[in-house]
Amino acid sequence: MLAAAVGLLAASCGGSSGDSKLTVLAASSLTDVFGALAPDARLSFAGSDELATQIREGAQVDVYAAASPSYADELYAEGLIERPRVFATNRLVLVVPSDNPAGIEAIGDLHRPGVRLVVGAEGVPVGDYTRKALEQLGQTDVLSRVVSEEDDVKGVVSKVAFGEADAGFVYATDVKPAADDVRAIELPREAQTEVLYPIAVVVGTEHREEAERFIELVLGERGRAALRKAGFGVP
Amino acid sequence: MDALQLSLAHPLRSFGLELELEVGAETLALVGPSGAGKTTVLRAVAGLLHPQRGRVAVNGRVWLDTERAIDVPPERRSVGLVFQEYALFPHMTVAQNVAYGGTARAAELLESLGLTALVRARPAELSGGERQRVALARALARDPAVLLLDEPLSALDAHTRAHVRAELREALGRLRLPTILVTHDFEDAAALGERIGVIVEGKIVQLGTAADLIALPVSPFVAEFAGLNFLRGVARARDDGLTEVVLEEGTRLLSTDPGSGPVGVVVYPWEVALALEAPVDSTQNHVRAPISTLVPVANRVRVRVGPLTAEITAASAERLGLEPGRTVVASFKATGTRLVELG
Amino acid sequence: MRRAFDLLLVVALAILLGFLLLPLLALFLRVSPGTLFAQLGSDVALDALWVTVKTGLIAHVLVVGLGTPAAYLLGTRQFRGRSFVLTAIELPLVLPPAVAGIALIAAFGRRGLLGGKLEAAGITISLTQAAVVLAVAFVASPFYLRQAIEAFASVDRALLDASRTLGSGPFRTFRRVALPLAAGGLGAGSVLAWARGTGEFGATIMFAGSLQGVTQTLPLAIYAQLDQDQTVAIAVGALLVLVSLAVLVSVKFLPSWTRFSSA
Repeated sequence: MLAAAVGLLAASCGGSSGDSKLTVLAASSLTDVFGALAPDARLSFAGSDELATQIREGAQVDVYAAASPSYADELYAEGLIERPRVFATNRLVLVVPSDNPAGIEAIGDLHRPGVRLVVGAEGVPVGDYTRKALEQLGQTDVLSRVVSEEDDVKGVVSKVAFGEADAGFVYATDVKPAADDVRAIELPREAQTEVLYPIAVVVGTEHREEAERFIELVLGERGRAALRKAGFGVP
Repeated sequence: MDALQLSLAHPLRSFGLELELEVGAETLALVGPSGAGKTTVLRAVAGLLHPQRGRVAVNGRVWLDTERAIDVPPERRSVGLVFQEYALFPHMTVAQNVAYGGTARAAELLESLGLTALVRARPAELSGGERQRVALARALARDPAVLLLDEPLSALDAHTRAHVRAELREALGRLRLPTILVTHDFEDAAALGERIGVIVEGKIVQLGTAADLIALPVSPFVAEFAGLNFLRGVARARDDGLTEVVLEEGTRLLSTDPGSGPVGVVVYPWEVALALEAPVDSTQNHVRAPISTLVPVANRVRVRVGPLTAEITAASAERLGLEPGRTVVASFKATGTRLVELG
Repeated sequence: MRRAFDLLLVVALAILLGFLLLPLLALFLRVSPGTLFAQLGSDVALDALWVTVKTGLIAHVLVVGLGTPAAYLLGTRQFRGRSFVLTAIELPLVLPPAVAGIALIAAFGRRGLLGGKLEAAGITISLTQAAVVLAVAFVASPFYLRQAIEAFASVDRALLDASRTLGSGPFRTFRRVALPLAAGGLGAGSVLAWARGTGEFGATIMFAGSLQGVTQTLPLAIYAQLDQDQTVAIAVGALLVLVSLAVLVSVKFLPSWTRFSSA
């Protein structure tokens, strides 16, 4: 019985060697798009920072797609991924629950006492973008209304969707999947920062052909169409 | 009016408990087969069980009356209950155990029951006899109106039993409290109880002194319990005034007691004589059978011959050269063949 | 043959011990002790420690305060529906933490079954420190209850009966007999509940969110710092291990009479 347990354990690890599945690490906001583009690949979604850590720890993966150039540039400088290329853009929006209990219509309304705001944590791409946008608007004191700093943009979306938060800053692409539960409020042009999505092959990949094929797919017409449909911008 | 009056009716597993008792300043031993309801009686008096119907009154104070919806909780009844396995609090010393219900009489009881040397010991460190004394002291410390003992000697080994029984008998004699003592051992009941109540399947079949039970057991159980021979047969009056009883396996016996129809035949073991050959005596009953067991008891021997048990002196047993398998004749007088009406 | 069997036993233990202790050891060795201590004093670590200890303590008081009488009832009385109740209180055990989080939102969130009514009265629970307390209490309580019920059930009923016949009513019997004799099991349940509660993550992050100094417990802080500053993450992890160790050790000092159950 012990031997069987050990055998199972051995079989479940190091699955990529001798395995023909492509492994892609991608930012959470790409969940639906990549899921549709590569249904047969092994897709792992999380905050771009967490995925970067996994690659640093030596994860056996093939493609990295982030929601911010900073992590990709770091990994590239460390020689862990190949030169990243931008394949999509996104923009930040303010979302409120569909019944808008706090009556938020603009960023200024977030100053009201008792407003419960949720944002991404510092270091998480959506969190950094949010802070940058607020800086550009001169509205950083809105951050005093923050009741939770999420590690993942999905966390922000779900709290607004559940109605536990009055408002949250997420990507435009996060609105559609949650359309029943949230309503988006566009930010003024001055607040918009470039949200760039880079993609690259991970150094040491054992599926170079499939990795490059996937990246071409994403950069090509089919990929661009899918991205546009999901609300991303394309370069 | 030092009396405990109780009447109970309560369904048990396969029959119903139903009895009435009045206990004065005496010890009443309740005996019966296990499951007969003896412990149920104790628990009902203590208030640990609410019977379906019943009334319990002590010295005129009503503790339970189901008809008037009176049910005084156990902590407000004045009972001392000594549990079968003593139920001493393991996390307390002897002194703390005894004083649990109140410190008023604790010191006095510790001394009168010889426990002063053990006051700081924990129950786990005590012998069976010592635990029994602690349990008794603890039960008496509250000066209860009624004392209840559940199989007080059964947790002891044979060696300690006789000694503790004597001590308990002395203690009970001094206390003069209405006491109900539950036991399955006739000798204990006879030694400790002024009266014995026999419970079979929830009903009291006989209530009396030990001597009463031996002299005139009213049921097979009572007879067996008292260690008497009890045979079953059908009786028929004879012209000469004697009664003839035909036993189940066909043996014919004569008795000087009147009787007809199904009867129980009671023969005292010590009135049965054994011989290798049947003596010629028509006033005696004879049963010829092989010996199945020989059990020495003190300076006597209990010999089982066929359906009968005879109790003879060890000397006689040796003289006759008795051994298992040997066929002998058991004889007993017609006057010693007592009949009990059955059915 | 016998020597070989003994050897097998020892080897199994050695492997298991190594497996359990190695990650803990590695945690403390990953950064230099100097860095570790420096980081332990960082705001993130101290805030997380404070949130964990405060919410953990309150949750624990709730769990033990409500759980002990409940366990006494379940452990010493028979009643119709008892087995159903026993199954019900074990439910949080089999619930994945994320599901527990959603369940708590469904019950106590702003639009929740009970939460909705509280919201109307101006009381919001989600995304506050109170939510952390509830999440921790929710996942930890079955651990305490199971042990407590077993502890009370193992107290010899005759002892409780004896106490009643000696003049102690139901409450005094509980206090003087049942509680001391069950204390060992209650303590063990307490440790288990504390351990589970302190490590709680999934339900907390969903229902209470994560805000430094308010709702960010030690586990949440580790997760938040993992991709930012690994040394802080490791320091906080080490802190969590030390806190747990402290609780484990303190329980060993329960009085020795708690080792009895009956005599």
